[in-house]
Amino acid sequence: MTDGTGSAARGRDTARPLSLAVAARGVFDLALQGMVWSRRSLLMAILLGLPAAVSILYRVVPKAWVPSRLGGPDLYALIAVFYYVRNFLPLAALFYATALIADEVEGRTLPYLLTRPIPRSAILLGKFAAYLTTTLTLTLPATVVTFFLLLTARGFAGLGASVPDLFRDMGVMVLALLAYGALFTLLGVLLRRPVIPGLLFLFAWELIANLPGYLPRFTITVWLRSLMTHHPAEEGLAGLFAQTLPAGMCLGVLAALIAGFLGLSLWIFSTREYVLEQ
Amino acid sequence: MSVAPLEFVRASRWYGPVIALNDVTVEIPPGVTGLLGPNGAGKSTFLKLAAGQLSPSQGEVRLLGVPAWGSPAVFHRVGFCPEVDAFWEGLTGLEFLMILLRLTGFDERECRERAEKALQEVALLDAKDRKIGGYSKGMRQRVKLAQSIAHEPELLFLDEPVSGMDPVNRRRVIDLVKRMGREGRTVVVSSHILHEVEAMTRRVLLIHNGRILAEGDVREIRDLMDEHPHTVALRARDPRSLAEAVVRLPHVLSLSFGPEGEWVTVQTAKPDEFYGAVSGAAIEAGVSEMYSPDEDLESVFKYLVAR
Amino acid sequence: MPIYEQTYRRYEAREPLRAVRFWPITREALRIILARRAFLALLAGSWIPFIVRVVQIYVVTRFPEAGRILPVDGRLFGEFLNQQIVFTLLLSIFGGAGLIANDLRTGAILVYLSRPLTRRDYVLGKLGVLLALNLSVTLVPGLLLYALALALAPELFLKWSLAWIGPAVVLHSAVVSLSVGLLSLAVSSLSRSARVAGLGFAGLFLGLEVVRGILAQGFGLRPVALLSLRADLRALGAALFGVAERGPSLPWSWPAAVLLAVSLLCLVILRSRVRAVEIVS
Repeated sequence: MTDGTGSAARGRDTARPLSLAVAARGVFDLALQGMVWSRRSLLMAILLGLPAAVSILYRVVPKAWVPSRLGGPDLYALIAVFYYVRNFLPLAALFYATALIADEVEGRTLPYLLTRPIPRSAILLGKFAAYLTTTLTLTLPATVVTFFLLLTARGFAGLGASVPDLFRDMGVMVLALLAYGALFTLLGVLLRRPVIPGLLFLFAWELIANLPGYLPRFTITVWLRSLMTHHPAEEGLAGLFAQTLPAGMCLGVLAALIAGFLGLSLWIFSTREYVLEQ
Repeated sequence: MSVAPLEFVRASRWYGPVIALNDVTVEIPPGVTGLLGPNGAGKSTFLKLAAGQLSPSQGEVRLLGVPAWGSPAVFHRVGFCPEVDAFWEGLTGLEFLMILLRLTGFDERECRERAEKALQEVALLDAKDRKIGGYSKGMRQRVKLAQSIAHEPELLFLDEPVSGMDPVNRRRVIDLVKRMGREGRTVVVSSHILHEVEAMTRRVLLIHNGRILAEGDVREIRDLMDEHPHTVALRARDPRSLAEAVVRLPHVLSLSFGPEGEWVTVQTAKPDEFYGAVSGAAIEAGVSEMYSPDEDLESVFKYLVAR
Repeated sequence: MPIYEQTYRRYEAREPLRAVRFWPITREALRIILARRAFLALLAGSWIPFIVRVVQIYVVTRFPEAGRILPVDGRLFGEFLNQQIVFTLLLSIFGGAGLIANDLRTGAILVYLSRPLTRRDYVLGKLGVLLALNLSVTLVPGLLLYALALALAPELFLKWSLAWIGPAVVLHSAVVSLSVGLLSLAVSSLSRSARVAGLGFAGLFLGLEVVRGILAQGFGLRPVALLSLRADLRALGAALFGVAERGPSLPWSWPAAVLLAVSLLCLVILRSRVRAVEIVS
């Protein structure tokens, strides 16, 4: 099969790198395999699937035992807003997205990918797509189960009218994973130790969303909150100064943030040298 | 005019104040070239620049006529076997090769064919469905080599390719490298194990302190090193009469006897003339063995590095 | 004999050194961590609440009316130490996440355990690092604050009725540092990546807090407060210093029991994970 020059196999254009889509798809398959069958994903599956378990508990435990509990729809709203969009989806994004390139650098497997005829940006895009697929697979089914269990706690009346809210909530969750994922991908590409800055962003900077005026617009959470249909009662500053911004503006800003962060990440990764320790 | 497979043109690379590679100009021709140097000499930097993982701080590095950095298309025709023992441990040997072949542009069927062929070359076909995490050190080294050759590249960089291998597989790899050189491919082998590089090729590139010390055939390099007389060892039935004949030759600088009295070790400034002149005396003294202990790579290397 | 044999001679460590053979592990790890500027910045930042509290004490001594808005009594120390829990978490993530994870990844654990060190010495050495870091932001500023309070406001603090403050600061700091340290070390031993361990530790602490909040609001049950380790530590601080905490209060023995159970679980995890040999099935 060898002809002394190692010439191209049938149908392969060796004058150009693989197309971005084909290359990203190859990296996606590789990354997905690594993400799905990992301890990290098992932990995430437990954390992101916990609301479903709480919903089962809610349905199984008689109301008489816990008379002070919230109604099903209110509990669902709490879970959708506080559990998923405000806390666990950003944490999941931090968990996965900061590691997209760092895993390859730490594992010293990056040279295998960098010495393939593929655009560098395909590596990051493929891994980002794998992150998104993994987190959505873990989140959306749990959200649907939680929704149906809690909203049918008092029967099926009004369920049909609430289903659009479910789709809207899932849409916001997708946007949350995209926006935080893009930001933390950028942090992961820029910084050697992105975990602390990521945590400070999530649990310090994002608190600015609770302030009055224009300052909240410099957070991601205020745009996501505005898109949610549910607004559970909050204490403190968040309760006093909560803002709801126009949906069109929210979508536009989020799209710009996602494109901006991701674009910058791709550019930095494409031009950066990685000197791995031997 | 054909393009050199690998070309460094006044290439330098520094990391802050440290110059790792200093104004290197070299063309690597087709065939096998051994890249040698002590630790910290700049071999790894040379290979990383050649494999397009780093860009030169100054000058150019060209792979098959195109800049090595920022030209992903060239990796259709280039293979790289890194030194580090690192894999996606959850993949089997076959999966590992197939994924990388997919990223080189082959379709599914061809990926499988090429992967199995490459695994066959490195004697890993039986273990193709085992996870790499369960491979021995030698098997890991072989699967790493397999991924670098599976797409039949024209140009191959091998960083310590036989590290951790048993003698049988080491021999197999050396034979594979020599065969690829005979086929006209360009293979650059970096190694610390000098006698193994010698077994693969006579052509070497010696690096020290970021600069090229010497390049070319080992013997030619040795011949040019006038300040180090050549050592020739002769084993004879009558070493004393041999010594008496040899000491009279004009270019013999010194002479000594081996500990058991059978060997005579001669230092000469002109080895070719010595070989011609000593033949008669050698027959009379019953010389049964003759060799030059410092024409090997290690001696050349030591002499050059010590300069 | 005039010419001595230059052969190997066995060296036996002197008896007292055996008790502190974990110390080089702690010392070297601290030396590496403290060489990082970002870490020193974090450490410096964690002393800002201390400065704020000193200013508070000074202001109240100068303007006693201010004491109505900013009360200065034994509870001040409880509130201060409860606030410092966040910094122990950050320091444990930054300095502690990779303590065992990196050794497992690089195989350095084999090097440690091939020395005359037991697994207990190894764990003690690593725990010593976390204790040193956490105590530097709890015990040290806590006692310093008490000393400054005695110096700046003797009329407020130099009383027998408030003599419990010092021991309470020591006890609360020790409990916080030990619990957080053990948990950080256990999580570090569960991964070969410092980054994953750090995130896992943060996720555990913060995640349980969120879960507690959801369950508390959703079900209105008091015992769910025990789910959050941070809430348990704060509850202990509240009980020690008489601080009023928001939300339902539980007897201090419950959070104490939870913390003890978690610490024991961490020790079990460390015992199973800190090994020279890993059996791969």
